[in-house]
Amino acid sequence: MPPVIDLKKCKKCGTCDLHCPLDVIHFDKRKKLPNVKYPDECWHCGSCRLDCPVGAITIRFGPEMLCL
Amino acid sequence: MVASAELLGEVVKTDVLVVGGGLAGNNAAIGALEKGLRVLIADKSSIDRCGAIAGGVDHFMAYLGTDTWDTREAYLEWVGKIARGTVNLSVQNAVFCRELNAAIDRMERIGCTLKQTDGTYYRTISMGQPGPYFINFNGKQLKPLLAREARRLGVQTLEKCAISGLLTHDGRVTGAVGFNIRTGTFYTITAKAVLLATGNTNRIFENPTGLPFNTWQCPANTGAAQAMAYEAGAKLANMEIVRITLVPRGFSAAGLNALTGMGGRIVNAAGEEFMSRVHPAGVRAPRFKLVQAVMKEIAEGRGPVYVDCRHLSVSEMTHLKKTLGYDKDTLPDFIEQKGIDLAKEPLEIMPSEGMQGGSSEVNSSGIMIDENTASTVPGLFAAGDCSDQMRCVHICTTGGYLAGKMAAEYAKSLEKIPKVKMSQVTQLKKKTFAPLQASGTTSHRQFEDTMRKMLWQNAGPARNEKSLTVALEKLEELGTYLKDIGARNYHELTRVLETEQIWLVGRMMCTASLARKETRFGVYHHRTDYPETKPEYDGQIVLWKTDQGIETEFKKLNYDVIPPL
Repeated sequence: MPPVIDLKKCKKCGTCDLHCPLDVIHFDKRKKLPNVKYPDECWHCGSCRLDCPVGAITIRFGPEMLCL
Repeated sequence: MVASAELLGEVVKTDVLVVGGGLAGNNAAIGALEKGLRVLIADKSSIDRCGAIAGGVDHFMAYLGTDTWDTREAYLEWVGKIARGTVNLSVQNAVFCRELNAAIDRMERIGCTLKQTDGTYYRTISMGQPGPYFINFNGKQLKPLLAREARRLGVQTLEKCAISGLLTHDGRVTGAVGFNIRTGTFYTITAKAVLLATGNTNRIFENPTGLPFNTWQCPANTGAAQAMAYEAGAKLANMEIVRITLVPRGFSAAGLNALTGMGGRIVNAAGEEFMSRVHPAGVRAPRFKLVQAVMKEIAEGRGPVYVDCRHLSVSEMTHLKKTLGYDKDTLPDFIEQKGIDLAKEPLEIMPSEGMQGGSSEVNSSGIMIDENTASTVPGLFAAGDCSDQMRCVHICTTGGYLAGKMAAEYAKSLEKIPKVKMSQVTQLKKKTFAPLQASGTTSHRQFEDTMRKMLWQNAGPARNEKSLTVALEKLEELGTYLKDIGARNYHELTRVLETEQIWLVGRMMCTASLARKETRFGVYHHRTDYPETKPEYDGQIVLWKTDQGIETEFKKLNYDVIPPL
């Protein structure tokens, strides 16, 4: 399961929302935090992790891919 | 009566509209901007990370003149060999060879050097090449650097924008309509030239991992250009090809090239390097041969199959580990989370999902283009994987740029764009937003899953007249359910649009496959009822829309003469 966002480190810049090529991450305007809204549409490209300015994102693969 | 302002939504005027801001589209925008024109890129994401090279890329094919295999002539001869029947050498010469030097300079200038830190090129050989054409480089920032350059030159962007249809007037393309995938804002875009660069078609075949977005190329690339150009009356070519590659088991990630290029061996359960049994070039055989061999090995019970890099020297392994994340940023994480050290154990691989795309590393499937990257419809240009002649980093870079220049030249030749036809916008807008009012009794995921399974069985790695006819019948039946697919928000609306595009590409693919009564490129077009490759099919299957449906014709191509530069 991709990306894992550390909400404590997050500085709410919205870059992960903007840069995801699949529109998977939606910045929740009420909570003012990013949400991985469509995790099963993640392509595991790494763009969110690459462009997060504070390194708040890690990529965690799940058994559906690791144990196939 | 709806007021025209409300109907049109947000109206945007530009000289050159580029649909798809990926590698080819971004280079195209730069080409058009350098000609001094207004350029607008519309993309479903942001131009910083969209498309196939989002998280990076590591290979740029080029001849550099160091040896007899390293020349333009040798390259074109190899191209004519590995893509005979789908590649047009004159177009390849125009979209790649003529633009190569400028492309290498442009890469340097924008800050994405192809060289290693010591100033040399690291070149690797694979996929049937006569010499190491692949320059291995760090392309992790290539997409953001291209985006930065386009912005520096003054590009306008419509990001998080899905283009849903082309505007036409008197047989000419004059713009497009689309919507914002978050807010639903409708856009009417008028342009003197439209350049499509939306890549190949993915999510069209059953995914062996069961995860439809776990794709080798970008899963957001679902044949938008192919579908829209078809509706606008353009001719398309090479649509019969099913592309399959080899990937780490569980993760449809790019990177095999790097592993085999640096000397990785492909072995079966018994540790046998079975490729040398199958092809004289062994692991350096053309991709479709590798895929076929692995499929056979697994089907005959000699799997699992692995890529084994344990024999690499310390410096080779260091280079491999350092660069493995260039093409797929998260591949090193995947391997690590599997608990594998490539220096100590082999990595299991598998055939990837099928996709509709190019038969080789040098050409593609889609809108038929001439040497000026023009489609058969005036005002419509195509670049990259959605055209029929541009594939891979090298040609998307060179050919994308050329397409931008050509679209700009065309735009300059026009005095003005005709006014928008309200009836056309009305019709396209209604079609675009229809899923929001649909019954929702079918979901886009259900529809696609069924279509993917059906197409893999009937139009996948083995096809025959009956299976392809059945596929077309089932697609027609499936088509009656398209109107029931619902969308509850604009993200889902985007997905429904993608489903419709994939469905249309599926119809084109099956129709073109029926027309090519031979087998070519092994599993990439395998007709079990016509198992031989026939010289009379040394050319393209071309298709276009008529009132009766999809029409096809054969276009013979010349491979005897290497075109002059």
